[in-house]
Amino acid sequence: MYSREVEVKNKTGLHARPASDFVGLAGTFDSNITIRDVNGDDDPINAKSIILLLTMGFGKGTVVEIAAEGEDEKQAVDKLVALVESKFGED
Amino acid sequence: MKHRGTSVSEGIAIGKVYKYIPFDPEINEKFISSSEVDENLKLYKETQEAAEAELLDIMDKMAETDPENAKIFQAHIDIIYDAAMEEEIIHGIKSSLHSPEYAMKVVYTQYIELLSKTDNELIRERVTDMKDVYSRLIRNWFGEEDRNLSLLTEPVIVLAYDIFPSDTAVMKRENVLAIITEIGGYTSHSAIIARNYKIPAILGIPDAMETFKDEEFVIVDAIKGDVYVKPTEDQIEQYNSERKAFIVKQQEVEQFISVEPITSDGVRIDVNINIGSSEDEEFVIEEFTDGVGLFRTEFLYMSRPRLPTEEEQFEAYKKVVEVYGDRPVIIRTLDIGGDKQLDYLELPKEDNPFLGLRALRLSFDMMPTFKTQLRACLRASAFGELWIMFPMVGSLGDIRFAKKIVEEVKADLTLEGIDFDPNIKIGIMIEIPSIALMADVAASEVDFASIGTNDLCQYLTAVDRLNPTVAEYYQSFHPAMFRLIGNVIRAFQAQGKMVSVCGEMGGDPLAATMLIGLGMRKLSMNASSVPAIKRLITQINIHKAERMARTVLELSSADQVENFLKSELPDV
Repeated sequence: MYSREVEVKNKTGLHARPASDFVGLAGTFDSNITIRDVNGDDDPINAKSIILLLTMGFGKGTVVEIAAEGEDEKQAVDKLVALVESKFGED
Repeated sequence: MKHRGTSVSEGIAIGKVYKYIPFDPEINEKFISSSEVDENLKLYKETQEAAEAELLDIMDKMAETDPENAKIFQAHIDIIYDAAMEEEIIHGIKSSLHSPEYAMKVVYTQYIELLSKTDNELIRERVTDMKDVYSRLIRNWFGEEDRNLSLLTEPVIVLAYDIFPSDTAVMKRENVLAIITEIGGYTSHSAIIARNYKIPAILGIPDAMETFKDEEFVIVDAIKGDVYVKPTEDQIEQYNSERKAFIVKQQEVEQFISVEPITSDGVRIDVNINIGSSEDEEFVIEEFTDGVGLFRTEFLYMSRPRLPTEEEQFEAYKKVVEVYGDRPVIIRTLDIGGDKQLDYLELPKEDNPFLGLRALRLSFDMMPTFKTQLRACLRASAFGELWIMFPMVGSLGDIRFAKKIVEEVKADLTLEGIDFDPNIKIGIMIEIPSIALMADVAASEVDFASIGTNDLCQYLTAVDRLNPTVAEYYQSFHPAMFRLIGNVIRAFQAQGKMVSVCGEMGGDPLAATMLIGLGMRKLSMNASSVPAIKRLITQINIHKAERMARTVLELSSADQVENFLKSELPDV
């Protein structure tokens, strides 16, 4: 199990294209990956699910924890954190 | 026999009904034995692949004609393979020994419910996509052919319970004469598509699927919102010529969208539009208008399962005022009650809702909600020319109390150091006869007024405008209407205050001529009426309109008024 926290900084948040990019990248790893709002009460959700990700609606300013468990857990979390930090090419 | 729904895209069509019934079998609880798990997992995977193949095929076909909308179907493929749903479906098959179709039903139903509950409108719209994908999967599971609207071989009137995005995307436009559905309204997906493609459409006809038979010959009057079954020869003939006239007029009239609305004797009339949201769809003809004469804010409240926040309203109002720049945008505060309800407010049922706790009265009753809306308006006023207008004002007391609340909100904002337009214009709707008769007094209290002719007519003639049994008594050309409106215009203009009209009459060429003749210089209407009204304005002169108005004020019945106007203006 490996996890890191990161703040969502792009304008749209994890919606629309950014959400789709995020899920697309998450799907390339074998590990089970979850994401949750560190300041919220909700359970972590499957980070490979576009539906769940959209339902959570992580907006700009949300601090999320991305966690993974499996062979490629470290790589998965680091890459996903980097994607969020890149602001998905916005701005 | 005639059946009524809501016309959401104008036009007339005559033809055969094509009853579109998507494959929708009943899925019951069904179990498999543990030895069948592997086989069923494989079948589930094959179903996913078959559905994906269909979608790829649709996308291929659309890539050339409509690349923008083709993207919707990539999203559908993403849903088919959504990790969480897929995992749960597989789990259902493996652990609960659900048959795949039952497992899909359980999981999709659960996710659709989950999405329906979120308060983000965009996400809730995805529900339609989820339902669409679910139908596709189930149909493929049963090995049924795709009987979609791309397979229409002759021009028909499409009848459906509801229409999905994937239906309209592949629909052969030239074979769809009209659309009629059982559910849906002005802002539903099918309505937007119909307007874009200029397909006449009537939505929300109760029990439509039972009422109309497949292959039945019908007339669709999507101007009035009526569908006629078993039409007589006379009706067919009449509608054939109306249809031709409509098409000719539509083409002719559309050329007028960009003209300056100046009468033949040089008087400029302001042409404004009525809008219901800040969606881009509302701005299509924005550049050809002088402002927003009526922003109906109730749709902001009706489109989500809870009250919109200050921030959500602020963003919506700000977007509109920024688009319009220095042209005024009149925001009408919440007009709920009467025929418009908000389920989540759980307001008590009233015997006479049109005479009940409606609009401004309701806002007074829900002070925090009212103040939230005023805060959002005031904040947005810092970004453009925003005017605030109160609906259902009946007395001077209403005006003074509403203004007092505005002052309180202004004071709060000042304390908090938040920017707003300190000279923001405050106005009222004139729709209750008591305030119309006190227009001179009202004018001294406000900056402007807009006449809501639909409700004014309802209250003046004492006719419930939604009750079909008394529809003939609802006479918008009643001479009393013009006498009263004339008084209002004079009273406001005498004090140099702006007065406009934003009801149906503003978009009706005959009525608009009368209003101009009575002195009105600002009209607001639905976007679809703009070309026709601009055309009218360029063709009349004030002198003639004034003479007509003087005559009408002397007439004694609605029929006389209408006949007189039609004889004077044979071309409109």
